[in-house]
Amino acid sequence: MQNCNFVPQGENVLKITEALKITQSTPVNAHPFCVVLACGFTPLHLQTFLSAHLQQSLPNRKVVVAPGLYGTLAETLEATSDAAIDGIAVALEWSDLDARLDFRSAGSWGRSAAAEIVANAQAMLDRLAAAIARVPSGVRVVLSLPTLPLPPLFHTPGWQASEEELHLESKIFRFAAAVTQSARATVINVRRLLEVSSPGPHFDLKSHLHTGLPYTTPHADRVASQLALALVPPAPKKGIISDLDDTLWNGIAGEVGPENVSWDMASHSHLHGLYQKLLASLSEHGTLVGIASKNDPKVVARVFEREDILLRPEQVFPLEVNWNAKSGSVSRILGTWNIAADSVIFVDNSPMELAEVAAVHPGIECVLFPKNDYAAGLAMLRQLRDACGKQRVSSDDALRLESIRQGAAFRVQAAAAATPESFLAQAEAIVTFDFGCAAEPRVLELVNKTNQFNLNGRRFSTADWRSLTSQPDAVVLSASYEDKFGPLGTIAVVAGAVHGKRLAIETWVMSCRAFARRIEQQTLKMLFASTGAEEVDFDFVHTAKNGPLQEFFAAVTGEQPTAQLRLRRAQFDGSCPALYHAVRELRRAEAHG
Amino acid sequence: MDDTGRRLAGCFQVVFPNLREAEIPSASQQTVAAWDSVAAIIMMNVIEDEFALQMDLDDLADLDSFAKIHTHLQKRLQVA
Repeated sequence: MQNCNFVPQGENVLKITEALKITQSTPVNAHPFCVVLACGFTPLHLQTFLSAHLQQSLPNRKVVVAPGLYGTLAETLEATSDAAIDGIAVALEWSDLDARLDFRSAGSWGRSAAAEIVANAQAMLDRLAAAIARVPSGVRVVLSLPTLPLPPLFHTPGWQASEEELHLESKIFRFAAAVTQSARATVINVRRLLEVSSPGPHFDLKSHLHTGLPYTTPHADRVASQLALALVPPAPKKGIISDLDDTLWNGIAGEVGPENVSWDMASHSHLHGLYQKLLASLSEHGTLVGIASKNDPKVVARVFEREDILLRPEQVFPLEVNWNAKSGSVSRILGTWNIAADSVIFVDNSPMELAEVAAVHPGIECVLFPKNDYAAGLAMLRQLRDACGKQRVSSDDALRLESIRQGAAFRVQAAAAATPESFLAQAEAIVTFDFGCAAEPRVLELVNKTNQFNLNGRRFSTADWRSLTSQPDAVVLSASYEDKFGPLGTIAVVAGAVHGKRLAIETWVMSCRAFARRIEQQTLKMLFASTGAEEVDFDFVHTAKNGPLQEFFAAVTGEQPTAQLRLRRAQFDGSCPALYHAVRELRRAEAHG
Repeated sequence: MDDTGRRLAGCFQVVFPNLREAEIPSASQQTVAAWDSVAAIIMMNVIEDEFALQMDLDDLADLDSFAKIHTHLQKRLQVA
C-alpha cells in the first residue's frame, strides 16, 4: 500500500558501480536496442547511466548507447538517418546554442556578446528543429532542455534575470513546444527533472574543465533516468477505482446527508475537490474511473445529482455502491472493464479497506487518501497523474468510457434477446478495416498493451514495428467497430506477410471491449479474402493472459492451439458462424500498391 | 593483499570486466588496453562508490596503475 510518499517515476537512483554492473549483465544473444546519445559534451557517466536505466527497463534486450562526437550535437542529429535505430536521446545544454555559453570556451563575455548569443541561439534552435524533423519517422526522439546555470556573462547581478537570459529561456521553450506540437519529439519536463535531481549542485565545473562532463555524477544519473523513461515509458494504468465518503468528498453522506458532504474551499475540504477534478480530467483523457463504496445507492445518487459536483456522473462507470466487501465491488468493476487488477489503482481513506482489496486482488495498486495531510494530498494527486498520464491522447481515449458503458448495455440486451443470433443480427454492426494503418500511433499502442486476445504477447519498439510492417508483402490491418450502441473505436490489429498462397501472421491483438461480436471471425474472413491465401500460419505463443485467444482457436480448429498453428481456408469456412456486420475497407488499394 | 587491495581489485573487475583476476595487481595504463581517459575517470567514480571518499581529478594523471592507486588509497584511509 502506498501512503502518499510520492516517488516520481524514474526515481531509481543508481551509483556508477551499479550502473556498470547492470550494463555488463546484458543477455549475450539478445536483440539489440540501439540509441544514439546526442550531446555536445563528453557523455561519460551520462552514457553509462542511460545504458543502465534502459537495460533495467528492457531486461531481455541488449541496450547499445552510441554517443556522438564532442561538441557536435547538431551534426549528430543531422547524421542520424538510420531508420533501424530505436531512439535518439538529446541532452541539450546552453553551450550547444553558442560556444560562449560554454565555460570551456575562450570566447569573450564582452558587452556585445549577449545580443549575439541570443541571435545565434535562435539560429541553432532552428537548425536543431529541422534536424529533428528529418529524423526517420518512427524513431523516437527524446529531449532534455538545459539543466545547468548560464555563465555569469550578463550585465545583471545573478539574482536578477537579464533581458537576454529571458530571451534565451523563451526561445528554448518555444523550440520545445514546437517539436512537441509536431509530435516529433518527447520533451523531458525540466522542472520535474531538477526536482528529482539531487539537492546538491548539478554543475561540476572541475569535471567540466578536466573531462568535458559538466554534470555531477548524481545529476548525470537523474538526466539519464528521465531520458530512459521517455524512451521506454511504462504502460499507463488503465483505471482508478475510488471510495466515496471521506475520499471523493469530505464527510459521510449517509450520516450528514447528501447536501452536506463537501469538496470546497469554504468547508476546508478542497483537497477532495482537487481529487475530483483530477479524476474528471483523467476520465476525459481515457482513464476509466469507477466507484467502490459501502453506502446507500440512493444517497450516493443524490450527491451525484448536485450541480456543484466536479466529477460528473457521466465520467464514472460503473458505480458499485452496496454494503458488501469492497473486494467484491472491485471484482465486478474489473469484470465490467475487462482488465486485470495490475492495470488499476484503488483509492480509499481506510487502510483496512485497502488491505482487504489488496489481499483479494494481488497486483492492484492501493493508494491511501490522505484526508488531512495536504502535502501528502498533493503527492497523491501527482502520483495518480504520473501513473495514468499518457504521452499522447488519441480519439480512441475519448471513446473508452462510453464504449464500456455501451458494452455493458450490449451485454444486458444480449442476455435479454430471444437468441444470441437475433441479437447480433439486429445490432447494426459495422466493421471497418484499414489497410494503411501501420504508422498510426494507436495501432502500435494497441499491440503493446493488449493481453487477453493477443497471439503471442510480443511487444514492439517503434523501430521493430516499422521493420515488421515495411517488409516485402507485409499485410497490416486494423479494425474499428461500431453498432447501434455506439462506436468502440480501433479495437483490433493484425500484422504479417503473404508468401504465395500462405499468410504468416506475426501479431494479432483485439481489445477485450470487442469480445462476443464475432469481429475475430470477420477479421479472418477479410484476411483470406484480401490476400487470396489458402492457409494462415499463426506465430502463436501461449501466455499467462491470452486465454480468450486460445479459446477462440480451440473453437475454430477443435483443438488447443500449439506453436505451429495453421488454419486452412476450408477449415475456417466450415467453422465460421453467421456474420452480420456491414464491412467497410479503407486504403486497401494504397497498401497493395 | 590487504583489505584495501581486495576492494580495489573489485573496482578493477567492475571497470575492466575482461581483466583476469591474476592480472589486476600488476595492471597499469601500459598493460591494459581498455584503460583510456574515460576508463580512468570511471575508475575514480567506482573507487568513490566503494570507499565512500572523494577522489580529486587533479590526481588522475598520477594514478595510472593498480599499485599507485592502492598506495594512494592506503594513505587516504590512514588519514581518515
